[in-house]
Amino acid sequence: MSESGVQLSGKNLRTKGEIKVWLTAAGLAVGLMMIAGLLLLITVNGLRVFWPDRVMEYTIREADGREVKMSGIPLRDPPRRSAIPGSVPDDFQVFTGNKDVYRLGFRYFQTDSVIKVEEPKGLRMAERLEYGRALFYPVKLKLEAGTEVPASAEGFDARVRELIREARGRWDQIHEIEKTDIGGINRAMRELELRRRPLSAREGQEVEIANIDSEIAALQARFEALAEEMNQLRERQTKDRLSYRLSSGEEREQSVGDLVYYFAPNEIGWFGQLGVFLHRGWEFLSEEPREANMEGGVFPAIFGTFVMTILMAFLVTPFGIIAAIYLREYARQGLLVRTVRICVNNLAGVPSIVFGVFGLGFFVYGVGGFIDGGVQYPMAAPWWMATCLLAIATIVGAMYLATSNRIALVRDPLKKRVLRKIEGGAWVLSVLSLIIVIARCPYFDGFFTRSLPAPTFGTGGILWASLTLALMTLPVVIVATEEALVAVPRGVREAALACGASKWQMIQRVVLPGALPGVMTGIILAMARGAGEVAPLMITGVVKLAPSLPVDFTAPFVHAERKFMHLGFHIYDLGFQSPDSEGAKPMVFATTLLLILLVVALNLFAIHVRTRLRQRFQAAAF
Amino acid sequence: MSARDRKKTPTGGVEVPRSVPDRFIVAPKTLRFDRFMNSAIMFGGIGVIVAVFGIFGFILLEIAPLFESPGIKAERTVSLNALDGAHVGLDEWGEMPFSIVDETEVVFVPTAGGEAVRMIPDVGQSRAVSLRRWDADTFRLLLGTENGEVGFVEVGHVAEYSGGGVRSIEPEIDVWPWVKLGEGRVTDVHFADAGGLKLFAGLLNSGDETRLVVRSLTQEKTLMGFGDIREGEAKDLSVLLAGSRPKRLLVTSTADSLLVLTQDDEVLYLFRDGDDWELRQKFRPFGEGYRVAGMHFLFGEVSLVFFDELGNIRIHSLFVPEGGHERLFGLTKELRPLKEPILEYRASQRGKSFVVSNEREAALCYATTELVRRRFDLSFDAVSMTLDARGERLGFLDKQGDLHLFDIHDPHPEAGWKSLFARVWYEGYPGPRYIWQSTGGTDDFEPKLSLIPLILGSLKGTFYAMLFAVPIALLAAIYTSQFLKPEVKRIVKPSMEIMASLPSVVLGFLGALWLAPLIDDKVPSLMLSILAVPLAAALMGWVWGHVPISLRNRLPKGSEYLLVAPVIGCLVLAGWNLGPSLERWLFVATLADGSHVADFRLWWPEFTGLPYDQRNCLVVGFMMGFAVIPVIFTIAEDALSNVPPSLTSASEALGASRWQVVRTVVLPVASAGIFSALMIGFGRAVGETMIVVMATGNTPLMDASGHLLFGEWGLGNGQFPLADHWNVFDGMRTLSANIAVELPEAAQGSTHYRTLFLGALVLFVMTFALNTVAELLRQRLRERFQIT
Repeated sequence: MSESGVQLSGKNLRTKGEIKVWLTAAGLAVGLMMIAGLLLLITVNGLRVFWPDRVMEYTIREADGREVKMSGIPLRDPPRRSAIPGSVPDDFQVFTGNKDVYRLGFRYFQTDSVIKVEEPKGLRMAERLEYGRALFYPVKLKLEAGTEVPASAEGFDARVRELIREARGRWDQIHEIEKTDIGGINRAMRELELRRRPLSAREGQEVEIANIDSEIAALQARFEALAEEMNQLRERQTKDRLSYRLSSGEEREQSVGDLVYYFAPNEIGWFGQLGVFLHRGWEFLSEEPREANMEGGVFPAIFGTFVMTILMAFLVTPFGIIAAIYLREYARQGLLVRTVRICVNNLAGVPSIVFGVFGLGFFVYGVGGFIDGGVQYPMAAPWWMATCLLAIATIVGAMYLATSNRIALVRDPLKKRVLRKIEGGAWVLSVLSLIIVIARCPYFDGFFTRSLPAPTFGTGGILWASLTLALMTLPVVIVATEEALVAVPRGVREAALACGASKWQMIQRVVLPGALPGVMTGIILAMARGAGEVAPLMITGVVKLAPSLPVDFTAPFVHAERKFMHLGFHIYDLGFQSPDSEGAKPMVFATTLLLILLVVALNLFAIHVRTRLRQRFQAAAF
Repeated sequence: MSARDRKKTPTGGVEVPRSVPDRFIVAPKTLRFDRFMNSAIMFGGIGVIVAVFGIFGFILLEIAPLFESPGIKAERTVSLNALDGAHVGLDEWGEMPFSIVDETEVVFVPTAGGEAVRMIPDVGQSRAVSLRRWDADTFRLLLGTENGEVGFVEVGHVAEYSGGGVRSIEPEIDVWPWVKLGEGRVTDVHFADAGGLKLFAGLLNSGDETRLVVRSLTQEKTLMGFGDIREGEAKDLSVLLAGSRPKRLLVTSTADSLLVLTQDDEVLYLFRDGDDWELRQKFRPFGEGYRVAGMHFLFGEVSLVFFDELGNIRIHSLFVPEGGHERLFGLTKELRPLKEPILEYRASQRGKSFVVSNEREAALCYATTELVRRRFDLSFDAVSMTLDARGERLGFLDKQGDLHLFDIHDPHPEAGWKSLFARVWYEGYPGPRYIWQSTGGTDDFEPKLSLIPLILGSLKGTFYAMLFAVPIALLAAIYTSQFLKPEVKRIVKPSMEIMASLPSVVLGFLGALWLAPLIDDKVPSLMLSILAVPLAAALMGWVWGHVPISLRNRLPKGSEYLLVAPVIGCLVLAGWNLGPSLERWLFVATLADGSHVADFRLWWPEFTGLPYDQRNCLVVGFMMGFAVIPVIFTIAEDALSNVPPSLTSASEALGASRWQVVRTVVLPVASAGIFSALMIGFGRAVGETMIVVMATGNTPLMDASGHLLFGEWGLGNGQFPLADHWNVFDGMRTLSANIAVELPEAAQGSTHYRTLFLGALVLFVMTFALNTVAELLRQRLRERFQIT
């Protein structure tokens, strides 16, 4: 290609427009550098969060001339420049921990106020349940028995770790009681209260009410016993105490029960650091968030994203495939189908927030309100009955017309066309009358009337969010499935038909299996898109902190009405709604890395499947 | 095979008497199932497609009420047996209307039927009452006597809720003790209750002279509630009138402004500053020769509604005029006149709606949009009118003493074409504006629902994103499709597509918390870095052209991007580090104390008069680039790759260089496809939500000058002719971000909620139309070159 572009007439062998070619090369280079840089940035920052850096001790001269020592981890960000040079000195950011003392976990040191920086020995870092990490020199352990262990004693660190492990065991017990036992009692009591409420308004229900009351009393007693047990455990947690000294010299005390882990950041080797890194990483993946989501893990968000995405995939798959099969295999390929195809394709380009708006209006307020509170504009009973009959009649009629062999064997084209029109009309009528029958039924008062005005389904929830995203990703699945159906070679279809297969048998046995990888690609791409989407979720049911998971071990196991947490929303919320966005930044980066990994992995998988599919059909095209 | 079969005689021939052997007859079950699946898939498929497009229909249904005209429907007629000259009033729930003629009796009649309640106010010993004025907003019958005393009777309703949520309304009346204003016959009086301070203003007539007197009453507020009332000194303000003869008074409920209508149809605006009153303004609501027939407050007391004797309606509002420094009244609106003179006026206590009427017709008006929303004729002779506080029930008293009640159904008066898409003169602004400000701090807040600033905000963000993304995406697409080796292309293309799948929340977060602080004080560095990219490419191209061909041939064609990348890296780095020098050289700002500082963040506002924000369009443009580049790249690359090789080969055979092939053959042929790529990229950028929510300040564009569409040229210190709304170093709020931010707070079914749905519809239509045009273009292109 390129040889012919060389101009051989000039003195120097230069091709025309070569600079512009380089310009286009620069375009590609910038594009690739952008994506690589972004992924690198997120990976480095996301992983750095868990890596235990060496801790430094700074000697700072305060404004009043005093010299103060503070320990902290310097952050690699460049020094901050003030808007008006000279008015505020340049400074740099240091992670100081000890939020209970310093109020913020980060601090800006003025560059010129730092007198001395050194790497101290003997410093320990501990993650706590409250106030984040602490940096300190241990002094002694005060045990429950009254004995004291000085920090200089042999095996002090091992002792502390042992105590932390014991305390963690007790926390697990406390959580178990809180979640399972007390949670169950609360649910049972709420249920009894709801049963009691309508009874108290009626006459002659005293026995029933007394029964319920005694049940409530029994539950109450059990609750108190459990609460007592829990209190004892909690009490026990505060018995062992660790006293420590900050770099500034201040002595403080901390109960060991509040510690999560404990290590010596400046004394562990590379493998030790790796151990801490893995420990923290695992904690991030498996724990629940603490302290306004800024510490701990993101397990509920991972779980919420997972459940939402799976639910969405289940909802979108059948509809997407049916629509695609119809468009490709059944519909007569004319102007109308072409228009519909373009429209479906274009729906993929409609902003996600529009689907969110629809989800809120239709699913949450419309369908959710209907499930909760019943029919708003009921029909008069006789008219409703008539519509019911119409619905049944049309459904039966349509089914007969659709399946009867006698009608299938009608040969007269005119008769056939008329019958087909009648069948179509019957289907449409049956659907319309069914919608009316359901939406205006005078006998339906809602499933959750008794807990109104507090909404159950009439507010955002995981079901509505999944449905909204399913709608949003439907075009993706339809387009991908259609492409896969087209790619199934004509020869294979004709062979199937020649062997006597009916049209449906041909689709079911030959076309669909052949198209399956393509369909899978579409579903995976839809899942990738759905998993990363936040805007529609913000208005259809995602929350910053959900009290319980959408799927758990209490009946009915899948709680479709519950609000849920989501990785993408976690990023938004932590980065923008948290009071200390600087302190939340590491968590955001870690969450971002996780989300990107999830989405990129799904995409790569889809691309892989697509490539495999292409190769297969290339091989099959003989 | 089948031909041979057909020759055989039928063996069984049970159902189909044809020459087909049994084993070739399709089983009825299969046939039935096939037929069923046919129908099921047909209607399932059509159903899914219809349901998807139902989104559009549903959103349309939700916004339809915004454009509905109000419904007014006769509800019932209640016999009040009211006397001549009676005034009527309605409680908040429209259940207990009353009539009042003078201070002797108030009659309440429940609309649901039942005993009428008569209440007799205790006004003390009888006096020679010279004036009775009915204040319909507060339900006060203001009284004045022949010897300068004033007082009033106040009618009220208290709702009581019994067990089970049953509401009963108890009427009550309250009498204010007489207060002496001075000597003379009272010809008008008005009263304001501003909590601790109450004010009577009255006109006292003695002989041919009319004096304006105010008297304030103070009431201490203690922990136990309000304490005793102390009467202040009466104050004669006649001096301020400068000889004009006063006719009618209005006091604002804050007791600090007094409006006086004179016999010469002038209005005087008096303002209280501490204990002193000053004359702020003197104006004529209608021109010379027009008589002012009525002067009333609109809800919020920032606007005055005037009508003359011909039925014309004008609204004057308080605002700071251009160049002025205090709020004065100015004519802002003029409504379509009624056919006959207006007799009655009632304002809603919830919004800017009001009703005007005369004997035979009435009109429901909305002040903000300057519209008569509904005009209707009355089938009786109305003598008095009342409107409940919520503006939902209207009552007319006819000459027979019957009260005709009407229900007003007008849930969205503040919406409509005009307020959503046209300029509206809002209260407090010196001219008509496009403004989005959906919620305010006070009850009398006037919602400003213009979608124009949001649409322009969307376009602004999109413009900067495209400015950044288009060159990179198109250049990369040209290179990938024309010059890159196919085996590399198989890796490069999916990598770019991965970029499209990056969740926008991630991009938004990086934009806001990483990029924005990073480039905040490094704008000159960024400028140099951006400049460095094309420079690096041009430099490399030029240098490469001078390298001996033997060396050049060592580099495989299609690997230029690998060579240019490090050069770009180096030059960008150099540009980044040279930034501060450029800043010191060019962007020196002068501080208030006269010292000079090299800081772009200060220089920009000083030089252009436009603000500088940390979260600005540069950040948004860059981050949205990540979302838009892959979209444009993929589609443009497809279009470029699909140019038939016969065309390019022919061109090459004629001796064109590879760039010449691209420029003269490939680009023109693929232009439609490239254009459609740009449109789809545009659609993606317009609807992008999370990036914009996070990486901009989300402040709607403010229409400060009334020239929103193009901005006012030469704003600020006038040195720089730049449209203020297209300021790069400033944020905006887009339609999509607006929905995400405000929808969770909007009450279901409210005007605000429906307006947000309208915003969604605008987005939907915009992106859908763009994508459709793009798709049609692409199909045309495909057909033209028969590419499959």
